Amino acid sequence: MLIGSNSGPQKIFQKSLFTMSSYDLRLKDLDQVLESEVIDLSKLREFCFNGIPDVKGYRSLCWRLLLNYLPCDRNKWDEQLDHHRKLYQQWLDEILVTPGSFDNEECDHPLSEDPNSKWNTFFKDNQALTQIDKDVRRLHPELSFFQQATDYPLSNVVYSSGTKRLNRRVGMHFLNSANVVRKGLGIVKITPKAEQTSTSEFKPLEEGSEAHWEVVERILFVYCKLNPGQGYVQGMNEIIGPIYYCFATDPIIKMKEHAEADCFFVFTNLMSEIRDFFIKTLDETDTGIVNMMRKVTERLKENDPVVQSYLVKNEIYPQYYSFRWLTLLLSQEFSLPEVLRIWDSLFSDSQRFSFLIDICCAMIVLIRDQILAGDFSTIVKLLQNYPNVETRVILNKAAELSVKNRDEESSGI
Amino acid sequence: MAKKTYDLLFKLLLIGDSGVGKTCILFRFSDDAFTTTFISTIGIDFKIKTVELQGKKIKLQIWDTAGQERFHTITTSYYRGAMGIMLVYDITNEKSFENIVKWLRNINEHANEDVEKMILGNKCDMDDKRVVSKSRGEGIAREHNISFLETSAKANINIEKAFTDLTLSILNKTPGREPTDVPEKINIDRKSDRLSNRCC
Repeated sequence: MLIGSNSGPQKIFQKSLFTMSSYDLRLKDLDQVLESEVIDLSKLREFCFNGIPDVKGYRSLCWRLLLNYLPCDRNKWDEQLDHHRKLYQQWLDEILVTPGSFDNEECDHPLSEDPNSKWNTFFKDNQALTQIDKDVRRLHPELSFFQQATDYPLSNVVYSSGTKRLNRRVGMHFLNSANVVRKGLGIVKITPKAEQTSTSEFKPLEEGSEAHWEVVERILFVYCKLNPGQGYVQGMNEIIGPIYYCFATDPIIKMKEHAEADCFFVFTNLMSEIRDFFIKTLDETDTGIVNMMRKVTERLKENDPVVQSYLVKNEIYPQYYSFRWLTLLLSQEFSLPEVLRIWDSLFSDSQRFSFLIDICCAMIVLIRDQILAGDFSTIVKLLQNYPNVETRVILNKAAELSVKNRDEESSGI
Repeated sequence: MAKKTYDLLFKLLLIGDSGVGKTCILFRFSDDAFTTTFISTIGIDFKIKTVELQGKKIKLQIWDTAGQERFHTITTSYYRGAMGIMLVYDITNEKSFENIVKWLRNINEHANEDVEKMILGNKCDMDDKRVVSKSRGEGIAREHNISFLETSAKANINIEKAFTDLTLSILNKTPGREPTDVPEKINIDRKSDRLSNRCC
């Protein structure tokens, strides 16, 4: 919700007065920040930390800025957007090609063992795609949004009689004779097997339209292809989901119609900051997930040593809860609207992701009584299914802890 | 500390490729319900169910794991304390069946030597999309001397039986003990009570 305050990022969120005037004043403040020719990023962060108003596409614009997709210089926006959107389109054209579509591929064939064989790559890609497909179909099932049709489908995909839909490639990890047809001399075409084995209600839409989850699938696949060292890791779907939702519901049409391309770049920028959480071999490094979990434990020890030692005594390891909290930036712990609000603060944190650690710590402190009254199973259940605590309360507590810790640090305690 | 309302505590683990239905199997067993709308499991999840077998109240602590390779470092640490492990594959997914061998290797590396195992071929209601025959499932189970069931979380086939069978086989090699001796997190040392039937 809106909070009528101009307090600095690390100050405590104030309860909103909910008067029309304070709301208007707040919007005016934001307009002022956004209208200056060169946007003052620290002012923008200060504002967004307290929550971005849920109107007029503010959030989607601010996230583009906070995650460094749009430069602060407004004059460069059009050029930047235009350049990137074209670039994305170009990548799509290169990546969404099914081998066999060109006549000059005579020396390549599905049984080729040449590492440069397009068929070889095709089958390998399909394995990654299978994983992506499973996960995007499971994205925010509580909302109908991801199963609905996008207003901006990719026309060469949706009018391809299904052949260019990525989810048709799922399961095609190797050559299956039933999939291959020979047409004339030497030209091999691949046709998808019968309908995919999905128990989910997420079905690809009919010719001419595609669902939002299919768009998300494509963005993740492009990301996966462009970042082969990392590939796709489960959970990335939960990171891209809120960004895509925010962009694809933008009331500003000229932004909304480019949700796919813009989401790709903003997601990529965000991933560049948190990718280490997803890489097993980096678990033990400074930026890896194990160290992040350790930070949560340490912060908790500083702020509530009683709860911390109770958790240790009961053998409640951080892997049971904070692993997921941190990896997914809390996106599985709260409902989508709450996640959007939490991410406003996370993205405004100039020392990303210090505030995330404060939030995790606050979440534990706020349910300390329930923790201290519980045994092993009740505590694990409690932390894995975080109870209904108002987002505002959690964020206030986190801000309080963050101020406290900063003061202690500066006074050398 | 909460009052003990059970006689024994068994720790079970569900493993298998991503998307084979581990979470659905667990949900069917713990809540007797089915939904296709499950989010993917990240890291490790946890459910509790108390069953009564042979006059004993047994609290089952069941851990549901993420299937993807990335999470193995997080999940293999739970193998050690597990008394029973369910290995799940999807009968409509060849790859998930082939990977059973890989999962078995993981168990051998990380779990207690005498952990009770069970292989489940899930989604057996989807016979029209079946690619792994029942006999192949039985074959691999026989080869490794593990019990086997085909299940369907959706149609509620063999779910209850799978958990009951696994629990019984743990129970049968658990020596009788006084309920009051049971601490919250029990780790029954069964090795001392029976000869290991496996060579190294």
